[in-house]
Amino acid sequence: MLFNSFAFGMFLIVVFVVYWFVLNRNLKQQNLMLLGASYFFYACWDWRFLLLLIFSTLLDYFTGLQMSKAKVQRIKTFWLWLSVSINLGFLGIFKYYNFFATSFADLFKAWGIYLSPFTLHVILPVGISFYTFHGLSYVIDIYKNRISSERNFIDYSLFVSFFPLLVAGPIERATHLLPQVKKARQFDYLKAVDGLRQILWGLFKKAVIADQCADYANMIFANSANYTGSTLVLGAIFFAFQIYCDFSGYSDMALGISRLFGFELLRNFAFPYFSRDMAEFWRRWHISLSSWFRDYLYIPLGGSKTGTWFKIRNTLIIFLVSGFWHGANWTFIIWGLLNALLILPAVLLKTNRNHLEIVAKGRALPTITELAQMIATFLQVLVAWIFFRADSVTQAFKYLRQIFSLSLFSIPQLDVNKAQLLEVIMLIMIFIIVEWQGRENQYAIEKLTWLRKRGYRLGFYYMLVVVIFLFTGKEQQFIYFQF
Amino acid sequence: MRHFLIKTLLFTAMSCLLMAAITLIPGYLVNRFSKFSIKKNNTIALFGHSHAECAYNDTLISNLTNLSHSAESYFYTFQKVKKYLPQNPQITTVIIEFSNNQIDTKMDDWTWGYTYMSNMLPQYASFMAPSDLELLAKHNSKYFMNCIGITARINLIKVLTFNYDYTGKTGGYFKIDGSRQLPASDVTGKTVKFSPKKTTVSITNLQYLRKIIDYCYSMHKSVFLIRSPQHQLYEYRANEAEFELIRKRYFNDVRFLDFNDFPLKNNDFADFGHLNFEGATKFSKYINRFILSGTLNPGATGSFVQKENNIIYSISSDRYPL
Repeated sequence: MLFNSFAFGMFLIVVFVVYWFVLNRNLKQQNLMLLGASYFFYACWDWRFLLLLIFSTLLDYFTGLQMSKAKVQRIKTFWLWLSVSINLGFLGIFKYYNFFATSFADLFKAWGIYLSPFTLHVILPVGISFYTFHGLSYVIDIYKNRISSERNFIDYSLFVSFFPLLVAGPIERATHLLPQVKKARQFDYLKAVDGLRQILWGLFKKAVIADQCADYANMIFANSANYTGSTLVLGAIFFAFQIYCDFSGYSDMALGISRLFGFELLRNFAFPYFSRDMAEFWRRWHISLSSWFRDYLYIPLGGSKTGTWFKIRNTLIIFLVSGFWHGANWTFIIWGLLNALLILPAVLLKTNRNHLEIVAKGRALPTITELAQMIATFLQVLVAWIFFRADSVTQAFKYLRQIFSLSLFSIPQLDVNKAQLLEVIMLIMIFIIVEWQGRENQYAIEKLTWLRKRGYRLGFYYMLVVVIFLFTGKEQQFIYFQF
Repeated sequence: MRHFLIKTLLFTAMSCLLMAAITLIPGYLVNRFSKFSIKKNNTIALFGHSHAECAYNDTLISNLTNLSHSAESYFYTFQKVKKYLPQNPQITTVIIEFSNNQIDTKMDDWTWGYTYMSNMLPQYASFMAPSDLELLAKHNSKYFMNCIGITARINLIKVLTFNYDYTGKTGGYFKIDGSRQLPASDVTGKTVKFSPKKTTVSITNLQYLRKIIDYCYSMHKSVFLIRSPQHQLYEYRANEAEFELIRKRYFNDVRFLDFNDFPLKNNDFADFGHLNFEGATKFSKYINRFILSGTLNPGATGSFVQKENNIIYSISSDRYPL
């Protein structure tokens, strides 16, 4: 059940009506119903993996209780490592086993030893990387005495499995979401309207921008050897907008849906393509994952308050792990490494916290310097995206080599309907303008202050609905579901 | 809560109205002003799928316009016929390709499968009767609305650019150069080897063929079914018994021009189902003589066919060189 499908629309209406109209006065029943709906939602993907989700939930719930009971630190540590090992063990088996097996075989092949490794023929359980990280943050927070263990199994399960964030995040923290699960929720008109508005914007990003860009990006990456450098740049730009709108569109919908039920999830994107350096980009892109790695990996390793070599080591580790988190493929590892290399100068020169505020705050336009910084950052991100999207590291390097050839200065050549291509380019430009106008808000159309009259704002929403209707083709899977 | 529900319902209702308007108004205008014209001296229109599209080079055939389109089921051909015949009164004869794969259930996918529907529905939705749209919605409700959205967008662009002309956009002869490597091992043996397919029949496709024929009769046109050449190893030949049964039972009132075994060499085929340029040239020249002989005229005896066949088939010892 994709968020952008008719079936999900129906599901959401039913859950919303039962939640607010039938179970309005009973928090326990509301939570139980939300948990049931979340399990149903997950079972629609593949009911067999529901058992894995329930097992993972039980494990962390039980571990949490045992850690709270433990009087000796050694026992607490034992339960922590048990939970971490089993959680990461499952992730390792489903996500990384085949990668390691084939990589070792390749390594031995280079030495003339031919192995035929045993590989698993299983599909990756959807959302496993997300709910595993939910659980890990919970047990680590208990271990660090940031929270106490949750005794109510239903409440804890809902924290792990709440359907808007179950399959692609944002990666929530127990400290943030669990208190909301336990608190009685009142229907809030403004919050609900805001939720609907964010769902609409997310749907526009996904169904219109991401899915339209996907067609061109897929075409160019699939035949990259046959295209000129300029066309390949166009392909990378299409992919940059595809992945941004696909993932941030999903996050917007997740946040909007949660708001309909009275929950506030962590913000996941904050206009990353308006960043002025790579450090700012990483503070604005997939925020819930970046902050997870910061809090549970980077800071425990010493963070940036250590010597130069440790700073370099820590930065490399979190970006390599982040790349590996995305998938068991060398392309993601190189992508992580490349991002680490791009951000390291700022970390070493201590300029990584130069741009904490959004660009051109309180002004309509950026300065020339800001514009140049944004373009330079976008180009760096673009190079890294090529590794992220390519089927192999070899393809990525060939792609880059072709870009940096004389054909970069030719007119892009694409054998497609020119009018449709122009439509997509115009849509991207309009999208950038709307994002720029709304960059000081939580999401681009939160306030629409540039449309002064209420009627204009309403007209804008209707226009969005019409554009979504006109441009929605066959719904495509969200990219981050594969992670 | 009540306030929220009322406002949400109002917004949804207004959105639905807007979407309906943006679909129906351009759709009406396209239907009203669309132009489907063929040359004034062409009195024969040929409809069909890719077999016919590649077989009839209409620059070599007098008075015939090839309007065939690849992967077109009779459902969409019907919509085309409904526009071409009234707008081109000079058409006296309609020829419809009827070959083995057109009875197969594959045609259902060509009608409401997403890939085909998203290509064909935007082209023809404006001309469809509500029952036609209902049929698509019934069989592929999941993607029907997506395709309606695409249709609305394409129609809107047509209206905004005043581009109502369908001429040359609904099919025509398609030239294929060269020939796919036909497997020598299969054609060297005396026994022809098929890759047989289990025959399952597309009722919808046959119903729409019937609708096309009846519509043509209602417009007082002569109708012929035609089967263009297929290679002996063409997989759908396996359903020949069912094909013949259906033809005789449901379309016996229509004269059937069968060129299934028209003598051609391996290198006249692009693949087992389609003629390449060389094959199309030979076949089209034959069809030209066939038409000029008056065989399609009412009351023609078919003597041309017998005479020609005696010549062609007697020299055809090299056909499918076995």
